[in-house]
Amino acid sequence: MNTPDELDIITRMRGEVMSRQDVTGENLFLAWGYPTVLVLVAEFIALMIWNEDWCAWLWAGIPLIGTPLMIYFLDKDYGRTHSRTHEENSILVMWIFIGVASCIGGWFMGVAGVFQQAFFAYLSLLCGMGCFMTGVILHFRPKTICGILASLLSALPLFFQDNLWPWQLLVTAVTVTISLIIPGHLFRRYVRNKRLDI
Amino acid sequence: MSEFKFQVINPLLHSELRLKIMVALDSLESADFMYLCQITDSTRGNVSTQITTLKEAGYIEVSKSGIGRFSRTTCSITNRGRDALQAYEEGLRRMFAEGVPVQEEIKSGGAVS
Repeated sequence: MNTPDELDIITRMRGEVMSRQDVTGENLFLAWGYPTVLVLVAEFIALMIWNEDWCAWLWAGIPLIGTPLMIYFLDKDYGRTHSRTHEENSILVMWIFIGVASCIGGWFMGVAGVFQQAFFAYLSLLCGMGCFMTGVILHFRPKTICGILASLLSALPLFFQDNLWPWQLLVTAVTVTISLIIPGHLFRRYVRNKRLDI
Repeated sequence: MSEFKFQVINPLLHSELRLKIMVALDSLESADFMYLCQITDSTRGNVSTQITTLKEAGYIEVSKSGIGRFSRTTCSITNRGRDALQAYEEGLRRMFAEGVPVQEEIKSGGAVS
């Protein structure tokens, strides 16, 4: 091999990798969005009907449903593409960070005694910002717009305080729908159309 | 003979298949063995040999998961590998600009056995 040949190999391989890259992760937003909304609504109903301590255990439903779904879809994506891009990895790490930040933030607020007042606004903001950042990284505008919208709406739960606080759950369900479920479906359709084009 | 020219020709990367594997891994976070076979258009035996060489040099990391026929070998480039590839590419571009053939550099450097 001489110098031009080697440079040609480097350029061709980079192009080849780029051309084979398939957009993945189209189901991950839905894998977390639906369990979150389901649990928020279930928690709201449980609080309205029973309002007992055991209702707090319903929160465990989010990781219990979301985690296996996420692992299943990640494995399915990897099984199809056999590779993972830097962008996919960045998005995955960012959402893991958001998940951890929501748990730690919730714990801090619980210790400070402001959980009911502020947590759901914080959760909505985290989801909205995560959606926005994902849209920016993937150059997918609907996600960016939904992320901005959800971030702006994240202050809404703050208007429901004291006896009205369970209604924060429903408002949060709406912001999560805007930040995870709607962009999730739009992205899923976009990825499927793109695959059909290929 | 300049010191720079000796360093440019990294014998580990002066192989078509090893260079292809390194460039593919540099463009990705990770890739499995089958992907590398497909993208380099090479046989499993050849890719396996070159992966072992690159792993021993500390240029890539190899991890295995799963059991039996469902096992998966995943490769990713290390920081050392990324630096080596970058230095190699820069050296090639510099040599291309200066019009120095690679083979002559290898002889003068004496780095390749």
